[in-house]
Amino acid sequence: MPVPIIEALNIVKDYGSARALHGVSLEVGEGEFVALVGPSGCGKTTLLKILAGFEELTEGRLEIQGRDMLGVPAASRPTRMVFQKLALFPHKTVAENIGFPLKLKKMDRTEIDERVRAMIDLMHLKPEYLDRYPAQLSGGEQQRVALARALVSRPSVLLLDEPMSALDAKLKKSLQAELKKLHREIGTSFVLVTHDLEEAMMLADRICVMQAGHVIQIGTPADIYYRPANTFVAGFIGETNFLPVSVVRESDGAATVTSPLVTGSPARLKGEHVSAHLASSGTALLVRPETIGFVEGDVSPDQWVMTGTVDEYFIKGSSTQYRVRVDGLAAPVVMDLPGSIVLPAEVGQSVGICFDPASAFLLSE
Amino acid sequence: MNIEHKTWKDPVLIAVVAPLAIVMLVFFLVPLAMTAVLTFQTTQYYRLVWTWDLKVWTEVFSKPHYWTIIGRTIVMAIVCVVLCLLIAFPTAYALATRLKSYNTQIQIMIVFAFLTDAVLKTFGWILVLDRNGVANWMLGTVGFAPDSLDILFSPAGAMVGMVYNLVVYPMFTLYLSLVRIDRDLLLAAYDSGASRLRTFFEVTLPLSRPGLYSGGVLVFVLSLGAFLEPKVLGGGTSPLASELIRQSFETRVNWPLGAALTIVLISVGALTLALAGLLAMKRSPALRRRAA
Repeated sequence: MPVPIIEALNIVKDYGSARALHGVSLEVGEGEFVALVGPSGCGKTTLLKILAGFEELTEGRLEIQGRDMLGVPAASRPTRMVFQKLALFPHKTVAENIGFPLKLKKMDRTEIDERVRAMIDLMHLKPEYLDRYPAQLSGGEQQRVALARALVSRPSVLLLDEPMSALDAKLKKSLQAELKKLHREIGTSFVLVTHDLEEAMMLADRICVMQAGHVIQIGTPADIYYRPANTFVAGFIGETNFLPVSVVRESDGAATVTSPLVTGSPARLKGEHVSAHLASSGTALLVRPETIGFVEGDVSPDQWVMTGTVDEYFIKGSSTQYRVRVDGLAAPVVMDLPGSIVLPAEVGQSVGICFDPASAFLLSE
Repeated sequence: MNIEHKTWKDPVLIAVVAPLAIVMLVFFLVPLAMTAVLTFQTTQYYRLVWTWDLKVWTEVFSKPHYWTIIGRTIVMAIVCVVLCLLIAFPTAYALATRLKSYNTQIQIMIVFAFLTDAVLKTFGWILVLDRNGVANWMLGTVGFAPDSLDILFSPAGAMVGMVYNLVVYPMFTLYLSLVRIDRDLLLAAYDSGASRLRTFFEVTLPLSRPGLYSGGVLVFVLSLGAFLEPKVLGGGTSPLASELIRQSFETRVNWPLGAALTIVLISVGALTLALAGLLAMKRSPALRRRAA
């Protein structure tokens, strides 16, 4: 863990009688890329606004670069924000927009020009855009101008409030790649708010998953994906399967699980396959779609087998997704198979599906 | 924002623009042309004589009296614009940003006052501005000498009435400009390191320009034709152009002279607006670009 640049401790935010943040703690290291992820209304944007200085915290403590930020206005903080709707000044040219923070610092005109040009280069914008107005640029170009304006004064922390949510999928992908490259090049800490966990996994060093004003889990993308704290985090990543199981814990942290819905011997999961936040109720086995296959021939005894009927399939090119309805499970089981010329099963067909429970992950609600 | 450029030959465009163009032609351009034609006629024994003569124009240009009045009208109009904008801006700003919960009630009150007949309101001001009126009584109760406010039947009194009757126009144009300013723009300015005051001058004021301009133009044009307020509250001591034109038509029954003075007033007013427009464009590169 690098030296922390942001230290937020037990931050509480109330709007009137409604509590938006229930004691949130977060550390962001110097040069780290942290993503705040969660569904809308989870408090991630509120937290970002508190970091930026647009909202006062109700309780708790926020330090940036070791300085208590209580009562410090946005203008005096070492943070800069990229807004969701970009908030470029429509009456200022691109050059004036980017140079605005420097102009406010009463910097020399020639130096402003120099640094604006350097930002334009860094953002791969054409120099002839300098005299244009934001409305004359495309969405992706406006995005770069907003980034340039936020970075031109060399902030210690860059805050990004879902800046790519309005872009089309292709442009989004290329800008995501550029953002990651930019972060690597300039070494500023980034805090990105997004509702898209895939985006967060691609970009961030660490991810903070939030729900209803609470931090559910903070960890690396691998932690979040392979060792989710609970079913909420696991379900947020994308389509996955939860199989209710009964658990017997062992002293070394391992667990033995059984399920009446499957045929197969009770499975023993090693300690690293068990969530650290395991509760006694609502325990389920997280079975990734890509780990399930159709039963072909003999099945080894440590595999778990379920029978069901094919509900629907989707051909995705490199893979084919099957949805199999199993008696006793509310949601159909989702499985991703490698794409093939001949489809392994038709809709309505009775099938046996199997997976290795020892490679699954045990968690709770 | 995409603006579609169409040529004048586009039939749809012609069809869409035609009704308004015809209305403007019949009710504005034709009467204006008739007024212009009228200036070249003369009168004899209170009767119009149809000729082509420059007699009226030589009279207009040889009598400084007319120009004093027209000059005064322009100055009054400019002062009225400045006062209206100075009063309307804070009001509109408060409406758009601070008083959101009472917004509807306040707007209804403004519209109600606005729609009350101007004659009634103007005569009402006599009660306020009179030497024994409400204003002096109020000033007296806080310790001012009696009769300390004596502006009724003076240009200042006329100005009070003009500002009162016209201030709603910029109030609404400015309100519409100000509510459209995205709050994130202000946050972005604070985030960039700007103080509240700096943000006002860098963001709020430039973005409220459309409202300032349209409100200013409305007040200017309407106060050029101000008639009621100078008469009722100005006491006729320093008449404005509209009174001069009324006298030419009604009292002196010299229609060509009235028509000529009308043309002069319209031209001088248009010239002033054009000058103001050029000045504004010089100040704002954005406007210059849009015009190009």
